[in-house]
Amino acid sequence: MSDAGRVLALAGTELRLVLRNKTVAVSSIVVPLAVGVFWAFSFGASTQPGMTAMAVALQLSIVLAMGIYVTATQTVVGRRHNRVLKRLRTSGISDTGLLVATVAPAVVIGLVQLGIFGIIHAVIGSPWPVDPFPLVLALLGGLALVVTAALATTVVTPSPERSQITTLPLTFLLLAAAAALAVVPSQGWWQALVAVPGAPIGRLTQLAYEGGTWAAGPVGLPALLPAVAALLVWPVVFGYLAARRFRWDPRH
Amino acid sequence: MRDLHVHYGDFEAVRGIDLEVRRGEIFALLGTNGAGKTTTLEVLEGFGQRSGGSVRVLGLDPATQRGALRERMGVQLQEGGFVDELTVAETLRLWQRMVDRTDRPERLLERFELTARRDVAVGKLSGGEKRRLDLAMAVWGSPELVILDEPTTGLDPESRRRTWDAIQELQEAGRTVVLTTHYLEEAEALADRVAIMHAGRVAVQGSLGEILASRPAGFSAIVPGGAGELPAVSGTVEREPVDDGTRIRVRTTELQRDLTGFLGWAADRGMRLTELRAAPASLAEIYHAVRAGETEVE
Repeated sequence: MSDAGRVLALAGTELRLVLRNKTVAVSSIVVPLAVGVFWAFSFGASTQPGMTAMAVALQLSIVLAMGIYVTATQTVVGRRHNRVLKRLRTSGISDTGLLVATVAPAVVIGLVQLGIFGIIHAVIGSPWPVDPFPLVLALLGGLALVVTAALATTVVTPSPERSQITTLPLTFLLLAAAAALAVVPSQGWWQALVAVPGAPIGRLTQLAYEGGTWAAGPVGLPALLPAVAALLVWPVVFGYLAARRFRWDPRH
Repeated sequence: MRDLHVHYGDFEAVRGIDLEVRRGEIFALLGTNGAGKTTTLEVLEGFGQRSGGSVRVLGLDPATQRGALRERMGVQLQEGGFVDELTVAETLRLWQRMVDRTDRPERLLERFELTARRDVAVGKLSGGEKRRLDLAMAVWGSPELVILDEPTTGLDPESRRRTWDAIQELQEAGRTVVLTTHYLEEAEALADRVAIMHAGRVAVQGSLGEILASRPAGFSAIVPGGAGELPAVSGTVEREPVDDGTRIRVRTTELQRDLTGFLGWAADRGMRLTELRAAPASLAEIYHAVRAGETEVE
């Protein structure tokens, strides 16, 4: 069997396990979904694009933070703790494939949740983004951010229990930053906030709904650029940390 | 394996060992906890980074050719490696898709007497059942080399014997087995060759016969009274006063000659010896000597 086949087989098993474990199913699926739906009805029904941007930014960040980041961290730490990763490394799957398959279910669940929010917005008649491009960037950048952050977080998480604490700071930051950036003015020193991990998601969502993506921003460059730069930096930092320090074995 | 060194930070877990395992043999790595057995296995498996020395497994360097090596090698970890929520059958079916060697879950369920437990979650299995499932995964598709880290620790005598049978079957099929254990009788029952590790070094290595022959045998008996003048023997003599006489312990490389001399001496004096015992060196004795640091590191 090819490595892709092995990755699919393992990812499928992992996905079934998420659905089978009630605690994980509630924290990774039910809570983000319920909160996201609440926001859709609270802010999304407004005809003001700013309010919809706020709802979408919050939905993106709760799914990225709780649905994907926390779930992926917990899964990897749990599988390492029980030496499942170590055993699977004696099978035919590649190391990259093993990590992809372990993290994939969280990403799939997150994308399904976002799809559900999209449908709800369409049904309740929320305004559409004037420019979907920054929104797509926010999604892709956000995925890269939370997946690399999850792998980096496993480095400082010795046990599955501890992951409830080690994932808190970034979860909080992601939610707060995305929410703040969707509403703060896009001028002056506020723009520095965009460097906070997750903040570009809010900024890009705001651009998607309110326009001005290519308008001249700081030093005459398109308004989009600082957010895109910030969106790239953090995954690179987290990815570098994870690549350098990731451990397969709980012992050492 | 030549001059293997492994460091964890400042701690040197393996301090320069040479090991040679021949194809088709069962090789046992004996030692106390912390002797460096698992660390040594991890280097063979390609997981542990060595800080010095050279290692070849099936002609491959495990550190750089782990991908090619694992197709030909089955590994049983010392513990764990299971997703508790998966059933036994699901675990084997997943393994079937993960491993390049072909085998059938049904065959292994039957071989390791897990058929009745196939739909039970792994987390609910007993320790012995888990160990059997573990072994089933290690021997999946009959790899050329099987590495077993304490395959019978925590098993009852009956399960231990059945595990030994399975290991012997592997050898009969021409496979090579490297195992660690701290049960001496396991090494005696299974292994063609043995290495005893202590504090990161190999203290003794060789076939069981060679190792035992290298150490003095011994005999002991209780002689009535103070024993007085004993006959000359080539080995060492220990005396210990006991209730009904003196216990004599002789350790010698010339067991037959010294014992004959001793028995003749007793017969001449019409002595009745009690608790007379003669035995070659046992693995247990050597093992304890190694632990006490008596045996020179080779």
